[in-house]
Amino acid sequence: MIELFDVTKRFGSETAVDGISLRVEKGQLCALVGTSGCGKSTTLRMINRLIEHSEGEIHIDGQPVRRFREETLRRRIGYAIQSTGLFPHWTVARNIGLVPRLLKWPRDRIQARVEELMSLLGLPMESFADKYPNQLSGGQAQRVGVARALAADPDILLMDEPFGALDPITRETLQLELRDLQSRLNKTIVFVTHDMDEALQLADHLVVMRAGRIVQQGAPLELLRDPVDAFVESLLGGEERGLKEAALTPVSHRMLPLGPRLIALARVHQDASLHQALAVMFREHADRLTVVDAEDMPVGELTLQRLVGTCREE
Amino acid sequence: MRRPNIVLLALMLAALAGWLGFESVNVAANRIVAGTGFHAHEIVGWPGSVMSCLPLAAVAMLAWRPTRVRLCWALALIVLILMAMPAWLAIAADRLVDPSLPQSRLGIGPANWLLLFLLLFSLVELRVRLALSRWVTWWLVLPVLAAWWLALTTWLEPLALLREYQVRSDPFHTAVLVHLALVGASVGISLVIGVLLALAMRRHAGIQRLVFSVLNILQTIPSLALFGLLLAPLAWLAANVEWIAALGISGIGWAPALLALVGYSLLPMVRNTFVALSEVEPGVIDSARGMGMNDRQVFLQVRFPLALPVMLEGVRITTVQAIGLTAVAALIGAGGLGTFIFQGLGQAAMDLVLLGALPILFLALVADALLGALASRLDHRRDAGVSG
Repeated sequence: MIELFDVTKRFGSETAVDGISLRVEKGQLCALVGTSGCGKSTTLRMINRLIEHSEGEIHIDGQPVRRFREETLRRRIGYAIQSTGLFPHWTVARNIGLVPRLLKWPRDRIQARVEELMSLLGLPMESFADKYPNQLSGGQAQRVGVARALAADPDILLMDEPFGALDPITRETLQLELRDLQSRLNKTIVFVTHDMDEALQLADHLVVMRAGRIVQQGAPLELLRDPVDAFVESLLGGEERGLKEAALTPVSHRMLPLGPRLIALARVHQDASLHQALAVMFREHADRLTVVDAEDMPVGELTLQRLVGTCREE
Repeated sequence: MRRPNIVLLALMLAALAGWLGFESVNVAANRIVAGTGFHAHEIVGWPGSVMSCLPLAAVAMLAWRPTRVRLCWALALIVLILMAMPAWLAIAADRLVDPSLPQSRLGIGPANWLLLFLLLFSLVELRVRLALSRWVTWWLVLPVLAAWWLALTTWLEPLALLREYQVRSDPFHTAVLVHLALVGASVGISLVIGVLLALAMRRHAGIQRLVFSVLNILQTIPSLALFGLLLAPLAWLAANVEWIAALGISGIGWAPALLALVGYSLLPMVRNTFVALSEVEPGVIDSARGMGMNDRQVFLQVRFPLALPVMLEGVRITTVQAIGLTAVAALIGAGGLGTFIFQGLGQAAMDLVLLGALPILFLALVADALLGALASRLDHRRDAGVSG
């Protein structure tokens, strides 16, 4: 659990972060979103004390971060950044084993942990362990970066625009992988991004920042339904935020049991989002879809009226 | 690879023209008199000299429609020509030098020098075209050096250069050692001072400006002038401070030479070390700290190893520069290979000049190649794959 109480950071006369309070529960992914220079990276870096806060308190599991030695604190917090920060003169395996080595784990335990992480991140040991970072693609390097952040099995992970430099397809793949990974590992993650779609996809808790202050925070759906001002609304896509809301709601939440009518020809998977269902309707010129399960068996149906008319009911 | 390799073609045509147009060797009765030059056809007759052109013409033809295989053949031919050059000199010596005159000698003429340099240029060109690794290049140069060594020790006794060497083989060896010692000491001392200065400069921006402006001024003083400027204060120190005189320091000799050499070496050393340490990618340092490395670990395990290739580049530049500058230090009695150059200039004996100049050139090339190889071996950013 991470808590910020009224935290302020000043650089000289400049106030970068202005009295923010924030609470990230254990196992939650908290996304900090905002335009560049809004203080989101500074906030992240104050948690592992790469930047010292000027005022307020930052607690990790109830303990103020200043109680720890900087190095000790950082070794128990995973850290992944946009440029990956991989050491170019070290092999992939050595890069991943960095924090365990700093913690003086025995050799064979480090070796075993590196192997475990590489298979977890889909990097086959035999083809990647001895490569150098400059021999990796952007996506592979970022996977190594995430593996390195996870190496000592920290409870907390700080990620500063980790997918910011990747092409859209690789980025989407890694977002899905991170979501999958998070559902298995249950880390407490603070994730900085300026990409609202990424934040909506990944976050349990969304924090919108502007000029060093928190403008609004809450669950992504809450923000989408009730943006506090025009700034948050425009960040959330303005007129299109309805579609983003649809993108976050699975078809299964809206579907009706199979009725007495003939089943519709157009079909949609039950785990697809309402956004995708809408796209299928648009493409097939249909106002009714058959919802199918993983085996392609019909399990229900979704009408356009149901999709839009009841969108606001849980 | 379809179009002609213009570079190789031009080099070969120039080599052909030079080979036939200039004098290949010259022969003198002793070291002072002006020698007589001989063209290739005057040594082996026209049929022989046309034959001697064939390998060069063959390389030129291979360069006309270059494929990888043809360029490999061209490379092999060039190495063979380089190996055959001492044999050519041996033939010339056998035909032209009168064995009854013990002082008579064979000088290497412009045609041979030109051929040598053009062939070396071709080697460089082919190395780039064929993307040869450093090791392959070394294996190509090795047989050439072996051939020259064999010829020099067995058949080329009348070669003027060798005659000059034979009468002063002991001073020559001493000069090489003194030269290397001066270069080694100045590079070593400036490396230590340079690293310390660079570290201090990273802490305080004020020192940075001061050091760079002082070193920049130092670098603009002509070397001979700097030697001269050091003469008076050192002579005064030696005359007035006992322990300084006891160390063998005086206004001339090795002390002012070393001081000046260190002074010149500092700028490239400090600049490269400073830039190398400063330009390590910030993201790498940030993540090193973020992972929980302490300052010492960040420096020793990340910043320093990543800076090392660029620092070595500084050592390489400094070393090559010092090898050249040490030649001038001979003028103030510091010894070294420059001694022969200035003696030779004074006596108008060009071969003696060459006895000093050629080893300096050779030392500089070897130092350059070795340190360059070391730097690129350490540099994972450029070619991590082939380093193993």
